[in-house]
Amino acid sequence: MLYTIHLNIDVDVAMPVEDKSKSLLPFLSTPNLLPNESKAEFQSGLQSLLSELDNPSPLAVALVSQLNECLWWIRRHTVDKELLLHEAMARLLSKAGSNWMGSDNSKLSVALEHYLDGSADEDEVALVEQALTEANLTLSDLRARAFKDAARHIKMVDDLIHRQHQTMRHLQRSIDSIDYKSRLIKRMDLELAALESKQSAKGALTLDDKPS
Amino acid sequence: MTINHRRNLANRCNALKSTGPRSASGKRASSQNSRKHGLNSAPDFESSPKYQALVELIAEEGFSAFACADIAAGLLNYRRVMDAYYDTYTSPEPVDEFLRDANMKTSNPIFSELLSPSGSEPQDVREMASFFADMQRQERRKGGPVSRRSADTHKLIRYQRNGIARLSRAVRQG
Repeated sequence: MLYTIHLNIDVDVAMPVEDKSKSLLPFLSTPNLLPNESKAEFQSGLQSLLSELDNPSPLAVALVSQLNECLWWIRRHTVDKELLLHEAMARLLSKAGSNWMGSDNSKLSVALEHYLDGSADEDEVALVEQALTEANLTLSDLRARAFKDAARHIKMVDDLIHRQHQTMRHLQRSIDSIDYKSRLIKRMDLELAALESKQSAKGALTLDDKPS
Repeated sequence: MTINHRRNLANRCNALKSTGPRSASGKRASSQNSRKHGLNSAPDFESSPKYQALVELIAEEGFSAFACADIAAGLLNYRRVMDAYYDTYTSPEPVDEFLRDANMKTSNPIFSELLSPSGSEPQDVREMASFFADMQRQERRKGGPVSRRSADTHKLIRYQRNGIARLSRAVRQG
């Protein structure tokens, strides 16, 4: 089927269920990916979750797909926590230095981002180090202050991650209940078949016992 | 002081004199300004063809008719919430860099120049400067793009909680 992802790119993705005509996924909106995210990784996550289920029903597949999306959101929010710190660090640096009133804020943010990634060029390193010197701070001091500064937003992201965990718990319980229900039906079918065969065997015996 | 800064400030001062849209289409458009995600409106899933298809497919799994309807509506509702969640996350309120980085102390002469044609008093200039300083504080408080999208997405937590509770309940009681 065709999954429409961000930027209106249509990607052919293999359906995770064997019987495509009975899948619920075509009738539900598909989880969107950000431009820098890998569709293949998303699909492999879904496949690995599905592989843990023994012959999943279409409803179970739909729920597992939601569960996979939750995992994806947890990943995004975890990255955001670090980005929040970087944002606060850049803000503190430019506030403390002479950059606050200029238009160098975004430049300093980008430079700091690259500096922390280890991908900064010489100019960016010089800019960040000059800003640190002007602010009279070390990188770890700056990080500690930034953590304090961004605490309110970090708490929000923690709440978002917690919510995804709770959602996953709900989905897991739902999947378990579907699985339990199908097992229960199978077990009752087997018990019924056993009773029927026992009954027919008993009937045959009583017929045999009758005197001719 | 750059011309750009001066023009920006003049535009904002003039915008404050605006009394809102006059045309019918303008009023219609601005009536949607505060609409963020639309999750408070009651959805009508029952009339959509997707809903009918979902109900039929779920019924094949041995659920009762009532349970099928509940599960289908729960699934569509949950997807609606998660789509709004994604939209909110990917389109945060943009950062007003001009307002955030503007030096309000050096803007006072511009304010007095802008207000002088109407014979304004120094008090008016002070009020204008204080108004912009207040807006700047609010803008800085909102933080950068990541802070904004976290704060905006955080507002949708309760919708996700209700959506998943409804879906989970429908599946387990079915």
